[in-house]
Amino acid sequence: MEAGALGNPVLRARRNRIDRIGDPLLRGLSGLAAALAVVVIVAIAYEVIHLAWPAITKFGIGFLTTNDWNPVTERFGAAPFIYGTAVTSAIALLFAAPLSIAISIYLTELAPSRVRRPVATLVDMLAAIPSVILGLWGILVLGPFMHDTIQPALKSTLGFLPIFSGDPSAFSYLTAALILTIMTTPIITSVTREVFETVPGELKEGAYALGATRWEMVRQVVLPYSRAGIVGATILGLGRAIGEAIAVAQVIGGATGINVSLFHTGSTMAAQIAAQFQGAPGALQKPSLAYLGVILLVFAVIVNVVARLIVQRGSLKDVDVTPTEAEAL
Amino acid sequence: MTKRLLSVGFALALAIAVAACGSSSSDSSGSSGSPLVGAGSTLVAPLMSKWQSDYASKSEETVTYGAIGSGGGIDQITSRSVDFGASDAPLTPEQFEEADGVEQIPWALSGTVPAYNVSGAPKNLKLSGEVLADIYLGNITTWDDPAIAKLNSGASLPSTKITPVYRSDGSGDTYAFTNYLSTISPEFKSKVGTSTTVKFPTGVGAEKNDGVAAAISQTDGAIGYVGLAYALSNELSMPLVENSAGNFPEPGVESVEAAADAVSKIGPNNEISLADLPASAKDAYPISTYTYVIAPLESEKADALKKFITYAIGPGQEYGPDLDFAPLPKQVIAAGKTAIAKIGS
Repeated sequence: MEAGALGNPVLRARRNRIDRIGDPLLRGLSGLAAALAVVVIVAIAYEVIHLAWPAITKFGIGFLTTNDWNPVTERFGAAPFIYGTAVTSAIALLFAAPLSIAISIYLTELAPSRVRRPVATLVDMLAAIPSVILGLWGILVLGPFMHDTIQPALKSTLGFLPIFSGDPSAFSYLTAALILTIMTTPIITSVTREVFETVPGELKEGAYALGATRWEMVRQVVLPYSRAGIVGATILGLGRAIGEAIAVAQVIGGATGINVSLFHTGSTMAAQIAAQFQGAPGALQKPSLAYLGVILLVFAVIVNVVARLIVQRGSLKDVDVTPTEAEAL
Repeated sequence: MTKRLLSVGFALALAIAVAACGSSSSDSSGSSGSPLVGAGSTLVAPLMSKWQSDYASKSEETVTYGAIGSGGGIDQITSRSVDFGASDAPLTPEQFEEADGVEQIPWALSGTVPAYNVSGAPKNLKLSGEVLADIYLGNITTWDDPAIAKLNSGASLPSTKITPVYRSDGSGDTYAFTNYLSTISPEFKSKVGTSTTVKFPTGVGAEKNDGVAAAISQTDGAIGYVGLAYALSNELSMPLVENSAGNFPEPGVESVEAAADAVSKIGPNNEISLADLPASAKDAYPISTYTYVIAPLESEKADALKKFITYAIGPGQEYGPDLDFAPLPKQVIAAGKTAIAKIGS
């Protein structure tokens, strides 16, 4: 049909006409789609700031450092939740990053090929567990286990550290951090695994040819080559950990204060918004929750920008680093 | 090619036209055809689902209800995204102003009950309002505290640490519970106060009734508070709470009804507090609470709404006791009818 159409001058003219509107049309539509994404982001930011405005004008920047959240006296501050978010995310990444790197190394370098796919699929499926289910599991299984076994053990061995002091509690920063570890591990793993798979075979073969053991090859070729990717993957995980609301709200115990002990109850910004936004009474509680949302948005933007900068600088550096390290072998 | 584009365009235009017709016709059919939509209190939800099926069979009109929590119900009716809201806590004066032209009518009667899990403690442990307040203030921290021992003479009490559990989300149960504790204890009133979310100085927060129940069942030494119907249907172990007469009535429909009968004071917006019971109410359960429907004075569906609320506070009440709701006292029904008359007029 196409060949016949090109042969016919009338049809060819019509086709050219379509081609002529085709290009601007494509540009217009795709531009519109891109603009829509920008508009949505700006609209969301505007809406959250607008909603938070009464709290922003009332509490100002001091909101960030106020360690109180009292709906009855209408005194609100973000400090307990910023602290909770920072502590739970940091611990989650402390566990999840090494774990994910280990899983990825196993899956790309060590596992027999018939094991790779099923294990990789299972790790990915961990990310498919709805967070509310993970939270329930946290309440029913992980929490009691923390309270009965892990926390007493930590207390008896490392109890001299303030972070492991106090009475064990099923609902705690530590329980929430472990739930976040489970949630972020599949995300970090799937990215690092793909990054590891892009390490050129020649570099690996070269390392082996120079007499490197498998451990030396991983340490001196795979890891340096993938450094930027690993950092990027970890930051992706951080984004998830900072933003997770439901599962954290279920296991962290919803306390509104700063506590040094990881066994204590607390809350995070996202969890607090999820728990209290619906029907928050009074003129200031809802704006204060929206203010937490603004802070969360700013956090997310900073994390994203930092990740991009690291990945950009890292990938430039890696091009220089890898050959010299290979030479050093 | 162009033809195909044209025909696709024509089909799209047709589809849009049809859709537009569809929506405009449903608009014009108005109040008679489309169902009443409500949202709010989870406490009233079991009773509401009975009402929905019964009302549909009697009047052939359907009511849909979303049990999103009392606070959510207040939000939704304030923004008029539903036809009625339901809340366990009466609206604050600010909320009334914001909701602009709504009527608040008590339409169900229930209670908030403490529940506990203490291995080695007796069943039906006796507690008083003062003791509950001190537990939630962090003044009483172990189950063998002299104040608890005094109320339970002869019982052996473990030295387990007390873990108070509270709702971390906005809740009518928190309102009823803190309203009661603030009435009993001046210290609780000044340090914590009454609201749907408050700042408890100690304890563990959990979401919704289920979260609180799970936290209690998973923690030895825990005490929390949940809705009466929820506690009874899940067979949680409940302590007996001392009332103003010095008795320890069993939480249930009869004792809640006795509390409601003892209070005749109805506020200007039909709000009724059952926290401050007279000593003459011997069998009254001390933490009883009304739950309210919030209806706009003006709406397209005013007639349907009046009809449904009239049903709810009338024939609908007979289904209450089976679902652990007490029937409304006569004077409350009378006040409700006066309020219904104001809707849509």
